[in-house]
Amino acid sequence: MGVTCVCQVPVAEGKSVQQTVDILHKKLEQLGAVKQGSFCVDCETYHATGNVSGQPSKLLYVMHNSETPLSCLALFEGGPSLIADANFDVLMVKLKSHFQNAKGHKVECRGSRYRYYDFLIKVGTVTMSSSARGISVEVEYCPCVVPGDCWNLTKEFMQSFLGSSVPDLPSVFAAKPEGLFAPSDCIDTMTQYLELFNKLRKLQIPGSNVR
Amino acid sequence: MSGGPAVRVSIESSCEKQVQEVALDGTETYVPPLSMSQNLAKLAQRIDFSQGSDSEEEGAEGEPRDREWGKQEGEEEEGTVKFQPSLWPWDSVRNNLRSALTEMCVLYDVLSVVKEKKYMALDPVSQDPTAGKTPQVFQLISKKKSLATAAQLLLKGAEKLNKSVTENQENRRQRDFNSELLRLRSQWKLRKVGDKILGDLSYRSAGSLFPHHGTFEVIKNTDIDLDKKIPEDYCPLDVQIPSDLEGSAYIKVSIQKQSPDIGDLGTVNLFRRPLKNKAGTQQWHLKLEAAQNVLLCKEIFAQLSREAVQIKSQIPHIVVKNQIISQPFPGLQLSISLCHSTGEKKNQRTSPEKPSPDNHLYVLEHNLHQMMREFHKQQLSSVVMPHPASAPFGHKRLRLAGPLAYDKAEISSLQQSEGLLEKIIKQAKHIFLRSRTARTIDSLASRIEDPQIQAHWSNINDVYESSVKVLITSQGYEQICKSIQLQLNIGVEQIRVVHRDGRVITLSHQEQELQDFLLSQMSQHQVHAVQQLAKVMGWHVLSFSNHVGLGPVESIGNASAVTVASPNGEYSISVRNGPESGCKVLVQFPRSQNKELPKSDVIQDTKWSHLRGPYKEVNWSRMEGRNFVYKMELLMAALTPCP
Amino acid sequence: MEAPPVTVMPVTGGTINMMEYLLQGSVLDQALESLLHRLRGLCDNMEPETFTDHELVYLLKGQQGNPFLLRARRSLSHPTSPWHLRYLGQPEVGDKSRHALVRNCVDVAASHTLPEFLNEMGFRMDHEFVTTGHIFRKGAMKVVVSKLSRILVPGNTENTERLSLSYLVELSVLAPAGQDTVSEDMRSFAEQLKPLVHLEKIDPSKQRH
Repeated sequence: MGVTCVCQVPVAEGKSVQQTVDILHKKLEQLGAVKQGSFCVDCETYHATGNVSGQPSKLLYVMHNSETPLSCLALFEGGPSLIADANFDVLMVKLKSHFQNAKGHKVECRGSRYRYYDFLIKVGTVTMSSSARGISVEVEYCPCVVPGDCWNLTKEFMQSFLGSSVPDLPSVFAAKPEGLFAPSDCIDTMTQYLELFNKLRKLQIPGSNVR
Repeated sequence: MSGGPAVRVSIESSCEKQVQEVALDGTETYVPPLSMSQNLAKLAQRIDFSQGSDSEEEGAEGEPRDREWGKQEGEEEEGTVKFQPSLWPWDSVRNNLRSALTEMCVLYDVLSVVKEKKYMALDPVSQDPTAGKTPQVFQLISKKKSLATAAQLLLKGAEKLNKSVTENQENRRQRDFNSELLRLRSQWKLRKVGDKILGDLSYRSAGSLFPHHGTFEVIKNTDIDLDKKIPEDYCPLDVQIPSDLEGSAYIKVSIQKQSPDIGDLGTVNLFRRPLKNKAGTQQWHLKLEAAQNVLLCKEIFAQLSREAVQIKSQIPHIVVKNQIISQPFPGLQLSISLCHSTGEKKNQRTSPEKPSPDNHLYVLEHNLHQMMREFHKQQLSSVVMPHPASAPFGHKRLRLAGPLAYDKAEISSLQQSEGLLEKIIKQAKHIFLRSRTARTIDSLASRIEDPQIQAHWSNINDVYESSVKVLITSQGYEQICKSIQLQLNIGVEQIRVVHRDGRVITLSHQEQELQDFLLSQMSQHQVHAVQQLAKVMGWHVLSFSNHVGLGPVESIGNASAVTVASPNGEYSISVRNGPESGCKVLVQFPRSQNKELPKSDVIQDTKWSHLRGPYKEVNWSRMEGRNFVYKMELLMAALTPCP
Repeated sequence: MEAPPVTVMPVTGGTINMMEYLLQGSVLDQALESLLHRLRGLCDNMEPETFTDHELVYLLKGQQGNPFLLRARRSLSHPTSPWHLRYLGQPEVGDKSRHALVRNCVDVAASHTLPEFLNEMGFRMDHEFVTTGHIFRKGAMKVVVSKLSRILVPGNTENTERLSLSYLVELSVLAPAGQDTVSEDMRSFAEQLKPLVHLEKIDPSKQRH
């Protein structure tokens, strides 16, 4: 598990989502990256039904990543998180009277996986209820686990094929108490995906209440 | 165990001994109980011998005694004053003793009176002679009767003895059964179900996952006729094993050339290995061991056939009846078969010709058994035990995979990579490659005498790797010409050759490649030998090349060449040796020795005649010498004139 | 690629419904040694395995019905092992003749952030205890002989007090739904442990105060 950066790539002018994705693929292949299968990241939203007072109930996000096929990640936005094995989904089914699954809010991100020496690049299409909402690019630098040591390298690499849409340092790394030099793990990756999904969800339906 | 708390009931015996005194520190001193004789004396003292059996005396002295005990039995005593209940337990004893005493006193008085002879005299009683004689018939009858009674008594006693002897034997047989059962229990798992004793001969408690139950039943064999002779191998305990585990089995692993037709697959030869009855081991022990072996062989074969069907490999494995056939190398066939013979006599006619001894690879059969047992052991390792205890069973590292978010590479490294079939195929490939390499080297060694090839095989090998050191030397010149030393590491599919000069070459499993390589090395050796020899002989090496680019192209390897010059520079020898083209030796003579050279006016100085001139080929086959290097040494010696 | 071994081992994971078959009993402290000895002989031939675990029971009080109960357990003897989260359903009332208690069971292995996460979800810790003892295994059957101790100061697992003078013996099997031979095997195994310990089906709902 290395240091991951997830960012959103805007759809190119006059082109569809699929075409933009193809352009990115071509750029990567020209760079010399090798395609290595596909990936899928998905996120389901649950909200607690037990709240009596008027405050909005907490949202529990349960995410899966095909890179860690035996694990299931559960997070509260800005709150504690849990890495569990695949049986956690079964447990959530049992908890359905206390935590309701917002079926319409399931977000999926699918695409191809490329390997360029020490980098792992995943270009995916974010879909929500089978409509494509945006493009995500995840770049992972595998050998290193400390963001502070490899952020510059990763940024430079991303510039080579993303051009102008290179993101800034993800806020998850800066928000940690130890700062940039704390080791990163899969929770950071999933938090970044979650932020991206939430941003994309709000984008298409502006002003609606996220419930 | 229904409801309610259990009530504790304690039982304690009352204090038997009387406390004599309690000391100041609390210790109690008990009155010691009376011993038997003391007790008897105490009871005897209570017998009043003065009291006779006369009722009057009884009455006179009985009343005071009555008055002592009168409170309890007053009224009854008065009513029954004539009937004397025995108030003492030994009343009869006392009475008898009293009457005996009376009789003795009377006798004594009579004898003392008779002794005085004054008042009484003893006279014999006259016998009536006729009265005593009984008739002979009566005597006979009475004697017969008495003999009969005596005989009956003796017969009764004899019968009793007989009965006790047979009972003893029966007991002993029972005990034999029990002692056999004890011995059985010390080695095999038994349990009692109802009135049957069942045992377990499977490997399940040792970690096997095979679904066979492996239950055997213990049978008592004690109903034999004692009159008939007990057979030699009689055992009071017998076991009944499941019918599909009868007989004996083994797994035959063999490598042979690929059979042209598939028609006769599945009819593997089964030859019987008879059960040898070792002295001292019970028959049940042998039976159970054989059955367990059959079970293990079945498990191994089931696992192998399951893997053969499920695992995808480039050349699919064929599973037919009791045989698994796979192709480790092209043209070669590896067959693993389960040979199970039930030991019945009528199979004798199908018992075949003796299989050739090197056809059955015993080592691989043994390895299969070992690998299966190792698999069993892995199931029982403490890595499977869950911590915390409520977690399900499973490998410890796999349980970590979820919470620690292992990625695909880490997960695949956790899973066991190879199954039983793959392992055994790899081992078979290695064994075959090793034996073929040995054969190649040996055939070369026997075919080619010069140079000599030696192979030193390493004693310690791995199942997948062996090594051999190959030396190419010339006879008589081993110390000088030792530049070709090859270390061959024989793997599963390839042979890796490490040369002394550091080159590493990988050869495939093809036999021809190794042979060609060794031939090329041999030819190089000759040239290297000349180079070493030159050093020893004091000749100078002018040029040396392992792979010359001139001359005819060799089909195997490359030709090598060397040119050496004599110490005084007058002669030089050029050698070109190729694996196919053989060796060519040319000698360069000084110009002065060559008569054919035209005398020229240009060269006037005589010193130029010392230069080397044209070449002349040596007829190497007619050269004297045992081998190439010897011939070369002679040539060099011949061309070095004595000073 | 490896083919599975020649038997059927229960698969944990995915959406397969797993059931727990349970038999329970207890022995006094004095009888522990003989019970352990017996179990050593009857169970699979392994080195005896001891454990010390800390279990926390969490409740989620919903608007209606019974509170949802989850058990979170971690190992004190192996601190790096993941937490084990367990949900146990209601016992199946169906076959009276079934010898073991059968209930739905979901086992989840979780990382060490579990307690904070459960608190955030709304679960509150009801009680906790420390349990220590031995685990044995026979095929798919698990026998756990454990002694429970109460925690005097919440959070402090060093300071504990034994709850009773006896050991709890539990025989359990985790199997997919529908396998009825499991309870038969459990019963015959329990027979072999009599008279040392009587393992029987104890319905937890009947024990509620």
